[in-house]
Amino acid sequence: MLELLLQNLVNGILMGCVYALVALGLALQFGVMDIINFAHGEFVMIAMYLVYWISLYLVIPGSVTSLIVAPIFFVFGLVVYKLVIDRIVGTYPLAQIAATIGLMVLLRNLALAAWRAQPRGLKYEVLRGSISLGPVVVPISRLTAAGVSIATMLALHWFLTKTRIGLALRATSDDMQAAALLGINVRKMFAVAFGLGCAIIGIAAAFIMTFQQVNPEAGLTWGLISWIIVVMAGLGGVSGVLFSGLILGVVEALEITFWDPRASLAVMYSLFILILWVRPRGLFGRR
Amino acid sequence: MRVRDLKPIGVIVVILAFLPAIVRFNNYYVLLLTWILYYSTLVSAWNIIGGFAGQLDLAAASYIGLGAYTMGTLMIRYGLTPWIGIPAGGLVAVAFAVLVGYPTFRFGLREAWYALATISSVVVLQKLFLVWESVGGPEERYLPPYYGSIYYLRFRGYTPYYYILLATLALTLILNVKIRRSKMGYYLLAIKENEEAAEILGVDVRKYKLKALMTYAFVTGCIGGIFALISGYLHPHHFGTWTSLQVAILGIVGGAGAGAIFSLPVTTFIIYSISEVLRSTLGGWIPGIHLIFYGVILMVVVLLKPEGLAETYSEFYGRIKGALTKKAGGIV
Repeated sequence: MLELLLQNLVNGILMGCVYALVALGLALQFGVMDIINFAHGEFVMIAMYLVYWISLYLVIPGSVTSLIVAPIFFVFGLVVYKLVIDRIVGTYPLAQIAATIGLMVLLRNLALAAWRAQPRGLKYEVLRGSISLGPVVVPISRLTAAGVSIATMLALHWFLTKTRIGLALRATSDDMQAAALLGINVRKMFAVAFGLGCAIIGIAAAFIMTFQQVNPEAGLTWGLISWIIVVMAGLGGVSGVLFSGLILGVVEALEITFWDPRASLAVMYSLFILILWVRPRGLFGRR
Repeated sequence: MRVRDLKPIGVIVVILAFLPAIVRFNNYYVLLLTWILYYSTLVSAWNIIGGFAGQLDLAAASYIGLGAYTMGTLMIRYGLTPWIGIPAGGLVAVAFAVLVGYPTFRFGLREAWYALATISSVVVLQKLFLVWESVGGPEERYLPPYYGSIYYLRFRGYTPYYYILLATLALTLILNVKIRRSKMGYYLLAIKENEEAAEILGVDVRKYKLKALMTYAFVTGCIGGIFALISGYLHPHHFGTWTSLQVAILGIVGGAGAGAIFSLPVTTFIIYSISEVLRSTLGGWIPGIHLIFYGVILMVVVLLKPEGLAETYSEFYGRIKGALTKKAGGIV
């Protein structure tokens, strides 16, 4: 039992880092432009397919495709921003929810139409095997994914605190009107935040694919997990997102150990509803 | 409520009552019409919370599933008639709605947060029923085959269910009109326009939102029981997030609100028919084409006509009426 718990906890912590990375893009978009993107999980799913196809046709490992998928997804984010998000920023919330739900339904079923329902996994991947640490077995793929997640979060943190564009993004997030008065092009910042959020999804998807398969339904889970983390983190910056991801990973690990793995989503969403009730500004929020 | 308000409902019901005869009770078309009525009723019930009160509720599938499991379990285990089981399912749905809704309104969750909390409740229930082996479990539980029994409401064809749903739709539409004409209707509209202003003017916002939620949950729970009778089995996938989304999409496209009571069934009829044509013609080559249509129509309507199609219909109706009276005037 103890060994199982230990193994599950290690898995949970590694997955928690990956959850945090997936949610990071959403947190950035939500924080800067206060937009409610229900299609986030579907973006992750599309990125995972992109990783699969690029890896298959260029015969390169899935993890390496992150270098290609991240820029593609930055552009994808800009396009989605121009076509959809730009029209609904600042309008009434119901329209934002409805438009992004439409986007979610559209993307999920486009994926179903194009690639059918069967799950697809990478054919070729270098991150194989595992390391044994006493009783605990750590898969190299998950370890790498967690490491890349933390590295990406550190990079984003540096970007947001040390560069001019990063500071402008944070200013926009804090007070849109004041930022506009100071000469920051708010619309441009929105586009940058949306593209950057999508690029982060691209990185995450490449490393998720090294240990998971993708199907058109995969987006629902990733979307809801991201929302849980964003709610938990509040507007608490990068570290809040990381801690929330870790909490979620550990809760999942405990649930799997002591109850039924099939019910893990039920426990996570119950936790989500509870946090919404008790701390709607999140556990790590600033305001 | 005045008799004048009930006239359009009467007209709709009479037209719908003759539709199965027009398609000569062909099983496929009757089933198609049954699903259209099913979603029309769901959307009309959703209108109470989504249209009047302006809360984007995505928990429809929770109430459907609870209604289905309550009715079905009572019937499988104790041989209880659905005439009691269906309202019992409605009450269980109300209990769950209060369990989630009371704290949600108490802590002031709105807009996206309300939508996320409600859609999460669907996933929670689905997984719990998957694990709860004594009632749910991963295998289908079939209802006993008492075919041809009015006591058990079990029939081989779909025509009887069509008329059951037609009666439910008529009741739901009457309920809508009744709420619109009542004090509660005006309070809900005030809440939708501006919650803070309504609160300052003395509307008990929480109480009326909860009342609207309970009404909607009861009707939806009852429809869930009828759904279980039609499908003939119970399974955790009756708690499906897609059903919740579909109801909300039809509601938004139909322009849910006080003025959309009749626009919602019409929208459901049009969208469901188009999606079914797409599915039956192109679905073999392009799986999910009918669902793509849902996504496209929702985005187009929200981006181009955010208030929904209700206005469009009445304009269209007015133009036809105008043209007809003009012509009639010319002849006379």
